Amino acid sequence: MSSYILCFVLFIIGLYGILRKRNLIKIIIGTVICEYAVNLFLIIFGYRMGGHAPIHSPGADVANMVDPLVQALVLTAIVISLATTALVVAVAIRIYEKYGTFDITKIRKLRG
Amino acid sequence: MKKSYRQEAGMSLIVKVVTRLTVGLILLYGIYIVTHGHLSPGGGFAGGVIIALSFIHLMLAFGREEALRRLSKRFISFFEGLGGLLFLIIAVLGYKAGYFFYDWLSKGKPFSLFSAGTIPLSYLAIGIKVTFGLFAIFLALIALKFKVKE
Repeated sequence: MSSYILCFVLFIIGLYGILRKRNLIKIIIGTVICEYAVNLFLIIFGYRMGGHAPIHSPGADVANMVDPLVQALVLTAIVISLATTALVVAVAIRIYEKYGTFDITKIRKLRG
Repeated sequence: MKKSYRQEAGMSLIVKVVTRLTVGLILLYGIYIVTHGHLSPGGGFAGGVIIALSFIHLMLAFGREEALRRLSKRFISFFEGLGGLLFLIIAVLGYKAGYFFYDWLSKGKPFSLFSAGTIPLSYLAIGIKVTFGLFAIFLALIALKFKVKE
């Protein structure tokens, strides 16, 4: 139970970064922390006490494995989060190129 | 200071020497992860990320020009396209015996390196795609010229 609460705390830290910080890079880091908190929550959710990795090797008992479904899900989520993070960083670089700042309160001039 | 060590791009001599020692090991470890994707944890994506990190390591230590001389942009985009195309071809070849993604090759002995039919080939295609895709993303992010209007 305490690990779930720690995942929630990690998510709240990321949410604080998204909502409260003004630097674009810090906002991106906040979104990444949120994604990692959700991934960690799913992995812990699929854990079984005393279970081993869900890989079928010679001499392994199939009965006592952790849940492989969430691990496949989280692997896909990591790949997608990599792609979205690269996209958001590219947008942030273009914003810096146009405005010369990462501060979101100063990016409202809409210069042509 | 010898004269032959002219001021080059990249980091200091210590970083360069350590990089020369470690880049090959990182590359081999990534190739190991990709080729053992059907037997152990890891696979195409994880191994591809490790191989791409070895390229990025090279670029950080020796500067952009040195890395681009070894791996040109045409080379990178060619191999990224090739990885995706190979994966699609392996998937479509499944129609030869049955349906999409059908494993029509010989399965071999379980838990040996050459087993599981088309799955290691798919992992190889994914590894190529992820390696050059991630390196291309890194290149595109750092190669942008900043022209701040003021």
